[in-house]
Amino acid sequence: MDDDIADILASVSAPALPVRTLDLQALTRAWVNERTAPELLPYPTDLVDRVMERIGKQISTIEEMSGTMDPQANFTLVILQTELERFKFLVRSFLRARIAKIDTYTLHYATLPSQLSPLERQYLQSHQSLISTHYSTSFLSTFPTSLQKLDDTAGGISMVDKPDEDAAVFCRVLRDTGNVEIQGISEVAEIEMKRGDVRVLRWSAVKEAVERGDVELI
Amino acid sequence: MSQRFAELGNKLIRDAKRTQNLPDLPSYQSETVRATVREVRDLDRELEHLKAPFAGSFDPSSEPAIACAMLVNHLSMRRNKRCLLAYHRVRSDRLEEMCWKGVDILNSEQGADGRGRGENEAQGGSKSSLSPEEEEYVRQYEDLLAAYKGQWTDIDLTGSLEPPKDLFIDVRVLKNAGEIQTEYGAINLTKNSQFYVRQGDVDRLIQQGYLQRLGWT
Repeated sequence: MDDDIADILASVSAPALPVRTLDLQALTRAWVNERTAPELLPYPTDLVDRVMERIGKQISTIEEMSGTMDPQANFTLVILQTELERFKFLVRSFLRARIAKIDTYTLHYATLPSQLSPLERQYLQSHQSLISTHYSTSFLSTFPTSLQKLDDTAGGISMVDKPDEDAAVFCRVLRDTGNVEIQGISEVAEIEMKRGDVRVLRWSAVKEAVERGDVELI
Repeated sequence: MSQRFAELGNKLIRDAKRTQNLPDLPSYQSETVRATVREVRDLDRELEHLKAPFAGSFDPSSEPAIACAMLVNHLSMRRNKRCLLAYHRVRSDRLEEMCWKGVDILNSEQGADGRGRGENEAQGGSKSSLSPEEEEYVRQYEDLLAAYKGQWTDIDLTGSLEPPKDLFIDVRVLKNAGEIQTEYGAINLTKNSQFYVRQGDVDRLIQQGYLQRLGWT
């Protein structure tokens, strides 16, 4: 719960925490969100850039320190390296979670380029053309022309697979965000989202609040 | 016209299902794939044949029997397409996964699968369980992956996805892996020896099966 209080303090009063602490928190949160959300979240360009810059610096610091061969520095080195490995893991796992979603719903995200980073966009396009070529050379090119499409919607079924927006997610409310509508079997109910609440809700119901940063997934 | 209507598609799906539970990729069913495509072409020809006498002015309500035949043909073609797509997708997904894990698919495939039931002959006698198209796909996907990874060199995208606990880990060498350079000097990885090394230095070798991590649950 301390994290939440820090978060509130940082957003309401003057920043009580250094940017790097906040960035670590933001990165951890982005990572958890990305791993639990059924949909791809907007790419946090600034955050990733800052973190990557700092990782680069840390790597050179470590190289310098290990170059001096000072036995006194060894203990510090271990700590620095452990921290570095953890940061690397966070970013790696974050990016891999995104790639996994992009791979699963390639055609769907091809229509939503704003959620992706330029690199991911490149990856998606190349991957998509690879897959199409693969299907085409394997069998599709010999099909009747009317059946060669990969994004057909004929017959009321779209060939483009989409993430399940109604999947249930566990979330914690970070800031009061008012009421959220909940669609039941027969009626619609409303619940109030208060700070500290932990709930299981449909992703579609909390999606916007998560993107605003008012709610985090857990 | 195939009498075993839609059976081929089903065969592909069964094979795909089986693939999901197998550790290795089974042989590519090129014969079944070809036959399924042939079935689609036959169906399409028959459809054209049914349509031909009406010269574009077909009224389904006056000819329900023909309308029904056309619908069934059409749906069967679509179903075959889905089956083929699903079959290829399962396999390409698996191949991608192997690319991410750093498995050298194209070289390790040779002789790994001896169960080819004659369908390998069409591939110039090669023992590979991949179709030529799949081999091409793997080559290109590896390039794509390398390009994307190259943008994140500090991170090592294909590294371990287990949260790091310790900087150093115990490993046992399962296969000779030669000498590796670490910042603490060179280590010669000979079979059955045991080392206490930095995890980042050996992640790749663990994934590729050269090393086994000890005391790891």
